[in-house]
Amino acid sequence: MESKNDLVGHKVPPAHLIVRGIDKKFGGLQALKDADFEVARGEVMALVGDNGAGKSTLMKVLAGAYSADAGDFFLDGKRVSIKSPNDASALGIQIVYQDLALCENLDVAANLSLGKEPVKNGWRFLPYFLRPIDNLEMESKANKAIKRLQVRTLHSVRSKVSGLSGGQRQAIAIARAVGTESSVVMLDEPTAALGVAQTKQVLEVVKRLRDTNHAVVYISHNMQDIFEVSDRITVLRHGQNVSTFITSNTTPDEVVVAMTRGLDKNSVGSV
Amino acid sequence: MQSEKKIKFLDRLSLLRETQFGAFLPVLFALTAIWGYFGLILPIHDLISGEAENFRAIFLSPRNIYNLFMQSAVIAALAVGITVVLLLGEIDLSAAATAGVCAALLGVLVLAGVPGFIACLIVIFVGIIMGAAQGLLVAYVGIPSFVVTLAGLLGYQGLMQKILPTGNLNVGDPFVRSIARILIPDIWGLILALFVFALFLFTTLRKQFQRKSKGLELDNNWTVWFQILAFGLIVISAVLTLNAYRSLPLLLVLLIAFTAFLDWITRSTPYGRSIFAVGGNAESARRVGMKIKRIRVSAFAIVGLMAAIGGIFGASRYGSVSYTAFAGGSLLLEAIGAAVIGGTSLFGGRGSVWNAILGALVIGSLGNGLDLSGASAADKLMVSGAILLLAVAIDALSRNSVGGR
Ligand SMILES: Nc1ncnc2c1ncn2[C@@H]1O[C@H](COP(=O)(O)OP(=O)(O)OP(=O)(O)O)[C@@H](O)[C@H]1O
Ligand SMILES: [Mg+2]
Repeated sequence: MESKNDLVGHKVPPAHLIVRGIDKKFGGLQALKDADFEVARGEVMALVGDNGAGKSTLMKVLAGAYSADAGDFFLDGKRVSIKSPNDASALGIQIVYQDLALCENLDVAANLSLGKEPVKNGWRFLPYFLRPIDNLEMESKANKAIKRLQVRTLHSVRSKVSGLSGGQRQAIAIARAVGTESSVVMLDEPTAALGVAQTKQVLEVVKRLRDTNHAVVYISHNMQDIFEVSDRITVLRHGQNVSTFITSNTTPDEVVVAMTRGLDKNSVGSV
Repeated sequence: MQSEKKIKFLDRLSLLRETQFGAFLPVLFALTAIWGYFGLILPIHDLISGEAENFRAIFLSPRNIYNLFMQSAVIAALAVGITVVLLLGEIDLSAAATAGVCAALLGVLVLAGVPGFIACLIVIFVGIIMGAAQGLLVAYVGIPSFVVTLAGLLGYQGLMQKILPTGNLNVGDPFVRSIARILIPDIWGLILALFVFALFLFTTLRKQFQRKSKGLELDNNWTVWFQILAFGLIVISAVLTLNAYRSLPLLLVLLIAFTAFLDWITRSTPYGRSIFAVGGNAESARRVGMKIKRIRVSAFAIVGLMAAIGGIFGASRYGSVSYTAFAGGSLLLEAIGAAVIGGTSLFGGRGSVWNAILGALVIGSLGNGLDLSGASAADKLMVSGAILLLAVAIDALSRNSVGGR
């Protein structure tokens, strides 16, 4: 399927995940209305909009945390259905929640393997949950994941999460999402609570995700970050698409205007 | 030069604190302090002040150590079980009452002619059911464990009184009695200790070797050897001391075996990892697909199991079952105190069952030492309260300093 972004007239890479016509109601409140969205492998798609525009809702629909009232999902052109978090993760769609949800009492390696600990061979007479964990394998895996994302400031995968900085935690949460066979990684305001240096670290990790051919969805309110890291920008307003910009062809001002006022008549996505 | 040496020592200490052994240091320190006080300082004080004619080394005598271990065994069994629910961030107030019901049932069963072995299996099963029933209420109905197990405490106390209308029953069954009476011959006890030590040595060094060959970061050599030596010292000297009086009792071997098994389950399996995960961050555990409700139920079932074992131990050691020794006495608070003094966090996610054993020894030593020095029951209560408060304060403070960022 071709991108329907006519605003800039550029060709963009073939989309990996496409959703069309998503509706989502919370009681009387229409959080998403006929929303379209797409993201390609090897690109960072920013998702922007004012508070309450429906960004988090759209992301949760994609992750199966909410089920849409209407809408179609396509993965590599094939129609799929996402009704539960398990559906989404089976399709390789992973979300990094705003609250991260790491276990502070466990070390980094344990957090990265949580719920799917590698176990030693030769204990097949026991059910999985009673077999001995292969700690060394778990550590090797963690080391690889950390290396792939180049989280340089982390000294050891054996340090407890309680001792890590906010940026390191964010990186661990991302590494956990990526660690499971994933093609789409979605980040909801990953730098909201971070300082300058830590934000930079997280943005580096996001770029690494793109370089490793993931499709990255990135929600943020920070225009500077968005323009540093994204390839395209989808703007939502009142639960509807305004437009999709190619980052190198637009300016923060233009995006902010689209967010707050919608577009003028000459654009396709306008209301 | 003095200060340089000191810094090095502190560095080593902090390295050690991060190891598994490090979690034992506070409670080992408390134990050493108590033993030093009752075993050395008090007798010396009595000698100098002329209260005693000669040095009274009763407390640290092999005979007293033997009794101390046996006295602490019932507390330890319950504390080990309670530790598992504490790891989840829950509490179980009914463990002692469960132990009481199990012990009473055991007494009644063997009196009715049921073979001791079968009777033990039956009460273990009953204990597991009693625990799991409370777990179901906590996990599926959503009642806080404090309330469920408080109700359990009352209900099971009543149940024990129903089973034992007189409040007392002698247990003469040879099988039940043999658990506390059978002694491992000196030489075999020593061989067992050496074997366990060799096993520890082997697995520790093998792990270090495997880390090296996989290119993983190595444990500090100093801490590895320190742990091996400390482990060997503790195990072998414990057996030698017991041998010096009688021998290693089967009851202690069983207690250690159950604890080792639970330690393996909680620290080395995906199931155990999920207990720690739920205790650390239940939402995180839920998102990675862990079955939180089943985990909760199973943890309470484990408390029931250990309570039943504590009940059997008690019946075996005393040769009788009485209401005050279990449900109606101070056993519950001693067991919870032991788990917490051992270093298991009341907030969940931190601790180990071995710590509970050490905590039980602290509680047992306190009671024993105060008894020997002729302190009143009132003194005992107040000192125990103070120690418990201290342990919980340390827990709360360390939680703040680690969690705060
Ligand atoms: N679980 C829910 N129940 C009811 N209403 C909801 C729920 N989740 C979101 N909403 C509503 O849907 C709308 C869109 O919310 P959403 O969280 O998607 O916005 P957002 O774009 O992520 O905003 P922000 O930038 O503030 O995070 C809001 O009006 C919000 O109040
Ligand atoms: Mg949001």
